[in-house]
Formats: sequence, C-alpha cells, structure tokens
Amino acid sequence: MTVTVPAEAATPSWLLQGEFAMCPCGCIGKRKKGSFVEKTLDGSAGLMRQVMFGQDIADQPGLLQRIDPRLKLASLLVLLFAVALVRNIVVLVVAYLLTVAVAAASRIPAAFFIKRVWLFIPIFTGIVVIPATLSIITPGDIVLPLWTWHGTTQGFTSQGLTAAGLIVTRVALSISLVVLLTLTTSWVRLLAAMRGLGVPRVFVLIVGMAYRYIFLLLGSVTDMYESRKARTVGTVTHDKAARGFVTSTAGALLSKSHTLSEEVHQAMTSRGYRGDAKTLQQFALTRGDAVYAVVVIVLAVTIVLADHSLGR
Amino acid sequence: MTPNPIPNLAPNPTLNLAACEATDVIMACEGLNFRYLDRYPALVDVSMDVRRGEKLALLGANGSGKSTLLKVLDGLVFPQTGTFRAFGSEVTEDTLEDEQMSAGFRSRVGFVFQNSDAQVFSPSVREEIAFGPLQMGMSADETGQRVDDVLAMIGIADLVDRAPFQLSGGQKKRVAIASVLVMNPEVLLFDEPTAALDPRTQEWLTGLIEELADAGKTIVHATHDLEVLDRLADRCLVFSEEHRIVAEGTPADVLADSDLLVSVNLVHPRTRPHPR
Repeated sequence: MTVTVPAEAATPSWLLQGEFAMCPCGCIGKRKKGSFVEKTLDGSAGLMRQVMFGQDIADQPGLLQRIDPRLKLASLLVLLFAVALVRNIVVLVVAYLLTVAVAAASRIPAAFFIKRVWLFIPIFTGIVVIPATLSIITPGDIVLPLWTWHGTTQGFTSQGLTAAGLIVTRVALSISLVVLLTLTTSWVRLLAAMRGLGVPRVFVLIVGMAYRYIFLLLGSVTDMYESRKARTVGTVTHDKAARGFVTSTAGALLSKSHTLSEEVHQAMTSRGYRGDAKTLQQFALTRGDAVYAVVVIVLAVTIVLADHSLGR
Repeated sequence: MTPNPIPNLAPNPTLNLAACEATDVIMACEGLNFRYLDRYPALVDVSMDVRRGEKLALLGANGSGKSTLLKVLDGLVFPQTGTFRAFGSEVTEDTLEDEQMSAGFRSRVGFVFQNSDAQVFSPSVREEIAFGPLQMGMSADETGQRVDDVLAMIGIADLVDRAPFQLSGGQKKRVAIASVLVMNPEVLLFDEPTAALDPRTQEWLTGLIEELADAGKTIVHATHDLEVLDRLADRCLVFSEEHRIVAEGTPADVLADSDLLVSVNLVHPRTRPHPR
C-alpha cells in the first residue's frame, strides 16, 4: 500500500520572528472605561453569580424552603389576589414588613432581599406614577405648591401622593412575594410545581430546556467575547467593526443553537420521545404544608378584611 | 464516590426476537449512502453488520462518517440509499412511525452522544435519568428505583438534584451514560466515548464498557483513540477519509498495519507510540 502524507506548507518567515509589542518597561497607554466586551463578560459572570447565590439560598434549611413548592406557588397566587384588592396603604406596609420577616426566617439576608425588591422596579414604577401625584392629573388638596398656571397654584396633591404610594407599595409587596418564592425554591422544584398545578407538560418542558440551555449559550457568548478580548490590542472602540462583531456573534450563536436543538431532539428521540413528554413527579404534602396552607388562607382573608374595615 | 456493581441488566424481551435469535447478526447495513443536505457525503456504499455480544469499534479520522453511521444504527438519520435492518426488521423513517416498533427499537438500542450537553437536557440529573424509562411507559415507582440503582452504580448519587450547568465535563458524561443505561438497552452505541475526558474518567469509562460487554451487552463505538482499542473492541471497521469502510479486523490486525493507519489518517508517520 502506498502511503500519501499531505505536503505541509513552509512556516511563513514572519511567524518565526518576534513581534513588536508594548514596551516592557510598564504601562504607557491611556486608560479608558470598560468596553462593550468587558461589560458583556461582567454581565455574563454576574448572572451566573446571581443564579448560584439563588441556588444556595434555595438549599438552606429555612422556613419557606421546607414547604411543598406546589403549595408555595398556589399561595403566591392567593396572596397576590388579596394584595390586588387592598386600598389601604397601612395594610400594604404591614404585609410588606411581614414578607421581610418571612424572608429572614427563610435565611434570606434582609439587605439583599430589600435591595432586590426596591432597587429597580418600584423606582421605575415611581417614575411612571409621578405625573399622577401632580394636581394637573389628580386634582385635590395641594400639599407642596410648585408653580402657578393661569392664576391657579399647581403642585403635589395629597390624593395624588396617596394613590402613587399605594401603587408603589402594592408593586413592591407583589414583587416581594414573587422574590420570596423564587429565592426559596430551586428552579427544578418550581418547574415540578407548575406541572403539579396543571400547567401543560410541553410548556414546562420547553421552559425547563430554555433555562438549561441559557447557561450553555451564555458560556458560548463568554468564550466568543473572551477570544475577542484576547486578540484586542489597545482599547475597544464602539465603531462599525464593533457593531459587526456583535451582529456576527449573534449570528454564530443562532447557528450554534440551531445545531444544538437538532442534537437535543435526536437525543430525546433516541430515548423514546414521540412528541408527548412524560416527566417525573415526586411530591407528598406534609402536616407542615397543611399548617402553611391554613396560615396563608387566614392571612389573605385578614388582609382583605383589615382593608375593608380600615377603608382608604 | 464508590460505584456499585452493575444491577441486573438482562435484555428486554421486545421486538421480533424469534427472527433474530436464529442468527448472531442483530444489525445489518447494506450499501448505505448518506449525504448531509443532499450535498456533503458522510457515508459512501457502507455495508457492515453488528453481532450479538461483540465489541465493535468504528475507526476513522474526523469527518470520516463514524458518527453518522452510529446515528443510522440508532434510527436517528436515514440513508438516501441502502438498507438498515435491526433485530430482524427493516428500520426506516416509516417503520419507526409505528408505535410498537419504535418503542421496541428504542428500548433495545441506547446511544451515548459525543456532546453530553446535547444529551443532558433536563433541568436536574434525576429528571434526566428518568426521562427514557418514563417515555417507555415505565411506572414512576419502578423508574425511581432504577434511577437510584443507576446513580449508585455510576457513583453519582450525590449529583442527583444538581442542574446540568453545575456539572463538570466528566460528570456530564457520567449522567449521559446513566441516562442510557437506565433503559437497559441490548445494544449500546458510544460516539467518541473517551474524547475530552481526564485520564481517571477515561479509565473509569473503559472499565465500565468492558464490564457491560462482559454482562452480555453489544457495544458499538466510534473512536480515533487507539490507546485502549484492545480493551474496547473485539472487531474493528476502518473508515477512509472518503467515507468508505476500507478494512475490517481484530484490534491486533488493525494496529499492526501501520500503512493502513497512516493512509486513513489514524496515525501520522511522525507519531511516536505511547510508552505502555
């Protein structure tokens, strides 16, 4: 048998010589704030950190971690409904303080819990409701005059401020309830709870797979951006080339996801999947769950009754 | 993590057993031709068979068609021309539409993909391993028992509630293997089983494949790793870079033919053999 080995091309001469690089005497270049590459890498690492931290909390032996996730999901819906009916801000504030206490009992650091709820969403809600606090939108008793228009004093009204406070507190309380559930329940148990409450299996399967592959694709994005960073000399500019890189990264990621989705489907088919996924379910309600259910129902009724008796 | 011994892995009594008991050949391909996108050839006139209880290695360079052949043997892709028969029945896209045929075939053939990320798709290790038996209609109790057995056997009981993104490459490979073994298939297909694994995991996997073969399983694996070929194969089929099977023989025969190995790009003339 004749053996044919492909002829190897000679190594180009420039590859055998040293390259002009930065002076070894130290930093001589200008410094700039992080580019989109660094920001993407930081964002990717930050997301992973958050998920790992959330998982650590869900694994703690706290109060809510012991409760059946189906019950937690159902009680969230009941409490959200009760909160939506409340029109008295004092009731909302008391209920919110209760969520902070439950968070502490579930081993969620109080500062983290409060920051997570208050840092962004209520602030954005606040921006949205600010116009409603003005006498132009909500006429009423002016508590802080701002300007005069056609001889009429305009400013913040007590009615407007009360309405805005009510909305912001209600949003904060609702988000606190959702954060309590998501921080004390691992994603796997949350998905199982959705199935247990009758959410269609295919829907839960798709959500579960999407969550699982986000991390894989996140890893791909990190690899691509790191390789770009490794080959970048100097500072990254936000120019046409940068935009081209971002779009080509998105394209490459789409192509990877497509190939991966084909392989995943093959892996599922190989193990007998025929379009109707069957999944494992393993929950049993305990006496503690029953107590929790009663407490939640009593709490929801108390919230509604207290609001009714106190009025606006 | 001390792995337990293999639980009872007796063959599943399904499909056309009477037809295939008569012969040792349980899978047979005749004149297979497969092109991706009707353009890029992956298999050219491939004829081969798989015999009951053997360890068969598909050898070839990257892109020679080994993985595609494994996918044909698992009924995941179908050749443009040629026939593939398994357990006495022809396997086509059409015949696998039949529920009974599909369930029988899928329960008897297990495939461990090269890319564990594609195979480990469930949100937790337990759900991943339970996926196959549940699709086959096994009860939740029996599935749970099998999952526990396989977790102990593979030595990953401590990973049971982990999410796949929290696993290392070696751990993902173990989960992928567990998810196939739990179905107790008669034929196990491995695509590049030892690729990208650290030496300890490679050795563990090699030992496991040997153990499974000793338990009567039929093993077919694609590889270009010649290091442990004598342990992982009784018979080898060698693919050329033109996607044809160009040689067949025992590992000793194949490894002794250095001209063949160079011509199919399995070794380079300058490659030095590893010291044993």
